Amino acid sequence: MGPGVIASAVVATALVLSGCGSSGSGSTDSTDSAGSSSAAKLSVKSAYMPQPVTDSMAAGFLVIENDGGTADELTSVTSDIAQDITVHETTGQSMREVAALKIPADGELVLKSGGNHLMFENLKRKPKEGETVSLRLNFTKSEAITVEMPVKSATYQPTGGH
Amino acid sequence: MRTNTKKKTFAAGALLVAAVLTLSACGTGDDSTTSVAEVSGTGPAKAATVLDQPFTKPDLVLTDTNGKSYDLREETKGKPTLIYFGYTNCPDVCPLTMSNLAVAKKDVAKKLSKAELANLRLVFVTTDPERDTPAELGKWLKGIDSEIVGLTGDFDKIQAGARTLGISIAPPTKDKNGKTVSEHGTQVIAFSPNTDGGYVLYGEDATVQDYEKDLPKLLKGENP
Repeated sequence: MGPGVIASAVVATALVLSGCGSSGSGSTDSTDSAGSSSAAKLSVKSAYMPQPVTDSMAAGFLVIENDGGTADELTSVTSDIAQDITVHETTGQSMREVAALKIPADGELVLKSGGNHLMFENLKRKPKEGETVSLRLNFTKSEAITVEMPVKSATYQPTGGH
Repeated sequence: MRTNTKKKTFAAGALLVAAVLTLSACGTGDDSTTSVAEVSGTGPAKAATVLDQPFTKPDLVLTDTNGKSYDLREETKGKPTLIYFGYTNCPDVCPLTMSNLAVAKKDVAKKLSKAELANLRLVFVTTDPERDTPAELGKWLKGIDSEIVGLTGDFDKIQAGARTLGISIAPPTKDKNGKTVSEHGTQVIAFSPNTDGGYVLYGEDATVQDYEKDLPKLLKGENP
């Protein structure tokens, strides 16, 4: 690892972060809300997969909302379309697999292009625009959720993003 | 060496530019660009950043998807050229960036004559040459646009070439599961057919529409 390279990536990331307006509270972690004991209440929205280039790799994006007072974690994803689905986080210019992603209490976990995403490897077939891919999301506490993820064009960008 | 120092300064400048631009794109409205002298006349609504101090085209001689030697300066001399550094085992940003360019080109082709588009070169340089052999690269690019030039070769050479454009890329590493972790660039750089200088930068959030709007100007070396 080149220290110089990392340093510059960090600078860029830091600036990006400060620009994206979480001004004020820097408390993104440990939001296991004091007092509130309602269970995590998860729902999934805005799921899509951009039509991949080949059948060897694809990405998936979605938002998991948590209306409950307890945080949860997305731990794994399974699907008929690929045996190997992993959860990735993007830091700077590279991405790496993570064991779990937190869904904060009364908050949301956003998987979006350029950020955290699901990575599908060695797909059984190449998903085409207009199809749907069925996924099962597994969590630490909540019951698994099944998602029908629509396949969009390779250049699809969800509206309402910034 | 004098020239070296100069290039480094450019690189650092470009990184700053990118960072500052990202800031303004997020809409803080904070005009904190005073320390950056290279940006000219780009508001937050624009995807393109026109550089006052264009980049020199990197002196890269690599291998194309047919396994043939490709001299970037020679092959793209006097041609409008857009370059991106990425890798094919990249599910998100790399295929999105190249697909955006390919779709924009296709859309623009409906409005312009063949002759006007004939010289356009879209170039994808891999940052993971070990996995991205000419054949792998060719297979992947065929899924996007078979006219895109795909280049692979010695990593150090690619890294050095990218660095002269302000793009820093670390060599691929293995994570604890033995999986390769690679890095991609964060910008597309457009080179003018008139000067061969890299004069416009696009960040990762540039869309098909942005490229579609700008391509007719880039084809002539004009500022978008």
